[in-house]
Amino acid sequence: MRRSSNSIVMIAYAIWVLFPFLYLLVLSLSADWRFPSILPNYIGLKNWAAVLGGETGLVKSFFLSLFISLLVALSSTLCGFLLSRIVNYNKKKNLWTIISYFPYVLAPVVFGACLSYYFLRLGILGTTFGVILAQFFIAFPYAMIFFSPFWTEKTKDYENLVATLRGSLVQKFTKVLFPLSKNLILICFFQTFLISWFEFGLSSIIGVGKVQTLTIQVFLFIKESNFYYGAMSCCLLMLPPVIFIYVNKRYVFNKIL
Amino acid sequence: MSFLEIKKVGKSFGNQEIVKQLDIDLEAGKTLSILGKSGCGKTTMLKMIAGLESPDEGSIKVGGTMMNSVPPAKRGIVYLYQEDLLFPHLSVYENIAFGLRIKRMDKSFIDKEVRRMIAELQLEGHADKMPEAISGGQRQRVSFGRAIITNPLLLLLDEPFGSLDAGTRKDMQLLFTDLSATYKITSLFVTHDMKEAILMGDEIGLMREGRLKIYKSQQAFLADPDTGVANEIDFWGGLTSNKSD
Repeated sequence: MRRSSNSIVMIAYAIWVLFPFLYLLVLSLSADWRFPSILPNYIGLKNWAAVLGGETGLVKSFFLSLFISLLVALSSTLCGFLLSRIVNYNKKKNLWTIISYFPYVLAPVVFGACLSYYFLRLGILGTTFGVILAQFFIAFPYAMIFFSPFWTEKTKDYENLVATLRGSLVQKFTKVLFPLSKNLILICFFQTFLISWFEFGLSSIIGVGKVQTLTIQVFLFIKESNFYYGAMSCCLLMLPPVIFIYVNKRYVFNKIL
Repeated sequence: MSFLEIKKVGKSFGNQEIVKQLDIDLEAGKTLSILGKSGCGKTTMLKMIAGLESPDEGSIKVGGTMMNSVPPAKRGIVYLYQEDLLFPHLSVYENIAFGLRIKRMDKSFIDKEVRRMIAELQLEGHADKMPEAISGGQRQRVSFGRAIITNPLLLLLDEPFGSLDAGTRKDMQLLFTDLSATYKITSLFVTHDMKEAILMGDEIGLMREGRLKIYKSQQAFLADPDTGVANEIDFWGGLTSNKSD
């Protein structure tokens, strides 16, 4: 009795979690679904064929977002790792750490509005580079804060040990620090990728409609009441996070736990 | 002739003078054990010799070479911590080979040297294990092997057996004495254990509030009432006589 009630709870939980995703998938395959029909009049690959045919601009947006997010994740993870080392070995470590939290005091949209003036003066408003730089301003401090706990006295001792064993600075990083922090670096890369991937407010202000990332496309379809294409772009939006969650679970979290 | 010559070295942090007028003269192949309580300046002294801290004044010479402005990676002085600091991502073999690999030595030379060192450290059968799979004493052996295989000019040991149990500690003291003789290691051995200081050192130093006093022989150390050895002997002697009464 108890076993069957547990199974019901588990199934209910699975439905509750998976329903929005399944619904989005069905919606992306649908067309001409009007009240009071319970099921859509059309289910097929018409919408997806339009996407792959390049009609909607979604494929272009998908690859543009992928490019922006990969670049933001790579640069902020690397810079965050290196800079957090300097900050955490500094005598005024606490002050620098507080400064790292500052970009999060403002909502990204407000932060974007503040940046837009300077970006306009620099001539990078409405450019892909401008969007990358703006997202970097958000993701980089996150990476700095993320890596802070790694730079302990013990890590410093490892570094000193490598130095006295006649290792160079490059060898310190390649032979010890990167291998020791490999899992943290991977997690930080995933997290900063996701920060960038789902960014909307900042990108729309800095991109001024000229840089059509996937999140901006999703909102455009929703504004146009094109739910089928909206659902389809949401499916595309989910794809990289799903892959990352799988990779994280399979190769990173299991090794940490 | 002195191999390690330290003259009038001092170091302060803010207004606090941590090491005062440090003078050391140590011959090659000898061990100077340094006894001192926590916070007396032992670690700062070792870090200055290793190049990890810079002295405010004085000179440090090793083998006749002035070391003050030489970076740690070029000094040839290895600093060993109380914690073994084995690299968790490398096997026992790779940990020992580390210093030779970063010097880009020939692979067959590295293999020969590492296998010889593993045999000396009595770690046969453990070469492929990861650090978490071996005991505390074995880890400390690997740490020694990793340092000694690089043939350092000077070995600095900062309470290396502090975290080991009594039995393992005794084994490690014997092993270190053997390795010192075999490889003719010049070393400074810091400890807060009086017995260990007497056992390990050819010369014994006593550090108090940043000042180091060196005794060239065990007899000189035992004879000085400041060292507290006489009190120790009286205490243990008293216990023995009370028991026999």
